[in-house]
Amino acid sequence: MSRTASMPAAPARERPVTPTAPGKVGESMARPDGVSKVRGEFEYSSDLWMDGMLWGATLRSPHPHAEIRSIDTSDAESMPGVHAVLTHEDVPGRKVYGMEIPDQPVLAWDTVRYQGEAVAIVAADHPETARLALASIRVDYEILEPLADAEDAMKDGTPKLHLSGNMLRHVKIKHGDPEATADVVVSGEYEIGMQDQAFLGPESGLAVPDGEGGVDLHISTQWLHVDRDQVAESLDLPPEMVRLTLSGVGGAFGGREDLSMQIHSCMLALHTERPIKMVYNREESFYGHVHRHPAKMSFEHGATKDGHLVYVRARLVLDGGAYASSSMAVCLNAATFAGGPYKVPNAAIDSYLVYTNNPPCGAMRGFGAVQACFAHESQMDKLAAALGVDPLDLRIKNAIEAGDTLPFGQKLPAPAPVEEILRRVKAMPMPEATEVMGRDVRELPGGVSNVTHGEGVRRGVGYAVSIKNIGFSAGFDDYSTARVTLSFEDGEPLVRVHTAAAEVGQGLVTLQAQIARTELGVERVAVLQADTEVGSAGSTSASRQSYVTGGAVKAACEAVRDRLFERVREALGDVGDLVIENGFVVSESGERISVLEDVVGADEIDETVEFHHKETYPPDEDGQGDVHLQYAFAAHRAVVEVDVELGLVRVVEVATAQDVGKIMNPQALEGQVEGGVAQGLGLALMEEIQVKEGKVQNASFTDYLLPTILDMPSVKMEFLELADPDAPYGLKGVGEPPTISSTPAIVAALRDATGRELRRVPVRPEQLVGLTEHPPNEPPQPGSAGYADIGRLDKRLEQ
Amino acid sequence: MPGYERAEVTAELTVRSPEDKNEAFDAAKRSAGETGLARDAGPEALMLAGGRVEVLEAVGKVLEAALEAGAREVNMKVEAEADADSFNSIDP
Repeated sequence: MSRTASMPAAPARERPVTPTAPGKVGESMARPDGVSKVRGEFEYSSDLWMDGMLWGATLRSPHPHAEIRSIDTSDAESMPGVHAVLTHEDVPGRKVYGMEIPDQPVLAWDTVRYQGEAVAIVAADHPETARLALASIRVDYEILEPLADAEDAMKDGTPKLHLSGNMLRHVKIKHGDPEATADVVVSGEYEIGMQDQAFLGPESGLAVPDGEGGVDLHISTQWLHVDRDQVAESLDLPPEMVRLTLSGVGGAFGGREDLSMQIHSCMLALHTERPIKMVYNREESFYGHVHRHPAKMSFEHGATKDGHLVYVRARLVLDGGAYASSSMAVCLNAATFAGGPYKVPNAAIDSYLVYTNNPPCGAMRGFGAVQACFAHESQMDKLAAALGVDPLDLRIKNAIEAGDTLPFGQKLPAPAPVEEILRRVKAMPMPEATEVMGRDVRELPGGVSNVTHGEGVRRGVGYAVSIKNIGFSAGFDDYSTARVTLSFEDGEPLVRVHTAAAEVGQGLVTLQAQIARTELGVERVAVLQADTEVGSAGSTSASRQSYVTGGAVKAACEAVRDRLFERVREALGDVGDLVIENGFVVSESGERISVLEDVVGADEIDETVEFHHKETYPPDEDGQGDVHLQYAFAAHRAVVEVDVELGLVRVVEVATAQDVGKIMNPQALEGQVEGGVAQGLGLALMEEIQVKEGKVQNASFTDYLLPTILDMPSVKMEFLELADPDAPYGLKGVGEPPTISSTPAIVAALRDATGRELRRVPVRPEQLVGLTEHPPNEPPQPGSAGYADIGRLDKRLEQ
Repeated sequence: MPGYERAEVTAELTVRSPEDKNEAFDAAKRSAGETGLARDAGPEALMLAGGRVEVLEAVGKVLEAALEAGAREVNMKVEAEADADSFNSIDP
């Protein structure tokens, strides 16, 4: 039987008091790192320090595309305080790395393919000495024309950036009748800019040689074991000689899934036989990690006159930048979700991922679904307009249901409450429309930068809904490992939980403790630092850790409990079902039949379990197959106010309903939703890495705009707890869906307010006032600002 | 969410020729490029990455091209990715 529950629609900054007592599954628990982060006391990986350590630094290419004629490190090597200057010749093992395909040089040898590519590394006794050493390295480049456009990269005759060309992947989905015709047809071109994960803690780590040829690396990352394997490969060491420990992570969102300085710091440490600390500054961080793929997408939707979808045709071109990273998987995700969470009887979808000389792109929250969702939701609004129906009703009419077949051939497993979450969002009360004139200026679109009295402010409302896979897909053997130990210390039971799962701020440490308390009935739980001493937990990505590592911890706890009860039964015979409560083993009737300490004794009970989720399969040549594991859905309603004269925006409110399976920690869930909405809002309105001819124009948080608390609306949220029968506790991953459909909902609201098409995100002020589509018929009247002297607004834009 | 599209097999080939000629490596690169599976892997190395059948087939072609062009030594390191789907059903 399914259960439904809803969270109170609390304003974003009015939180209930969180219980401080240790909690179990389903209870609100504060994160142990929360207070120290807010106070600035948290120890991030950039705070790591060891006596005698040296500082590592990286020389990067200033050119997006060039051949390296020579590298002269002699001056740097002779500088006092410089302990090592290394190039590609010093890479002991594999000179390339990559999560899916090893195609990225550890250090470039003859070609650089993006601005910021690593060419040489140094170790010095002071960061400034390291910087001076980098400056003294002479690299003779022959600058080449950058291939900066993904469409150009696909054309015949275009220079190949890699041996086998520029096409990294093409996923083709053929479903039903690709030539189907429809009564009503809408088409559109959509574009999404390059978003950055914008984690606040830049890349950093400390590599410590062990004196026996091996190395210990303390690092902020998302996937310890895949980092380790790649580092070991390039160091030409067996994996067991490379040990990784998770250090304090300042956010991730996919940007730490690929390597940054991991191999570099270890190379320097082994070469100098000294600990090496590396910390990127903010500018370097923009060059040091992958970003969200920019995309250009052409969509055509056909429907019957009464509004039932007949077909979706789509062509998506994603710019992977210079190296593959996780682009192959992003390409598949974009293809599989191009139809959206709708009944689509016929589909023809082509998703292309190509190499260019732009910054490498890879994992970011939403992972291919973000791009597709912006396009399919824009199309649904367009279709609703063509049909003359309410856009939300059109979505409800076409909402996919459990048992329906997705365009890639997989039958959608239950629960799939798409219609229900849309109805929930529809039913939520709208925010009060307050009078604009005379309002506190801080509540106008643009806040204090709005110099009007709000005469041009218009309100708009928009909706969107999304589908996202949870967990790794397409045949990958996805699992996590947990070691759980029950012992007694100082007369008290203690459970230790050890995994390699990266806590990146999402609350996984708290969740592991909740699960252990729930399963073992013991209050004292210690979650050990994640490292590679225990088996792999996979990556903290794909919204998967609650499912997979949560499942592993639960299974390991169950194994410990089984052994404990076995001891009781050996001593007392068949005593029926047992539970652990308050330090006792308790029978079904509530009788305390054993003292827990007596059963455990001096021996620990120690179990290590691998938890594998059910199998998935790669798609066939028509893009068909049981590709994904689990599906999560979210619906969003955005209410915005736009100053249509100035192009300024205030997002008044975002309301959302999400299908979460089981609420494991209400406070953490609320945080995920608010954070996801913030990131979706950022993509809708401001966040874009500006790249011109392969060069990043805004590698700083001064120029890369991020939403602040002043930009955040209140977020109303409701959750559906419909258990997934295959998942631990019935849970679904929750991290990504809030980001995916919040962006198109906000853009739909902007369209509603302005009447403009808005085909590209982030939406810029000039799009909102129409300057990018049509110059105004009536130019703004010259006023005291002196327009008469400096020219018409639209003319100035052309200059 | 990377990893699940990880190449099933990688083959890294290092091609060495007599004296200072690089014709053999160039030939190997050209042949590798045509397979659709190839990337650079170092000053004298290239990488073939993909499905087991495709990579092993490509290795033969690249070796042939390198030897034909005068290579005297080709070192090869072939690695299978245990997490790739075709290995799921094989017990370690």
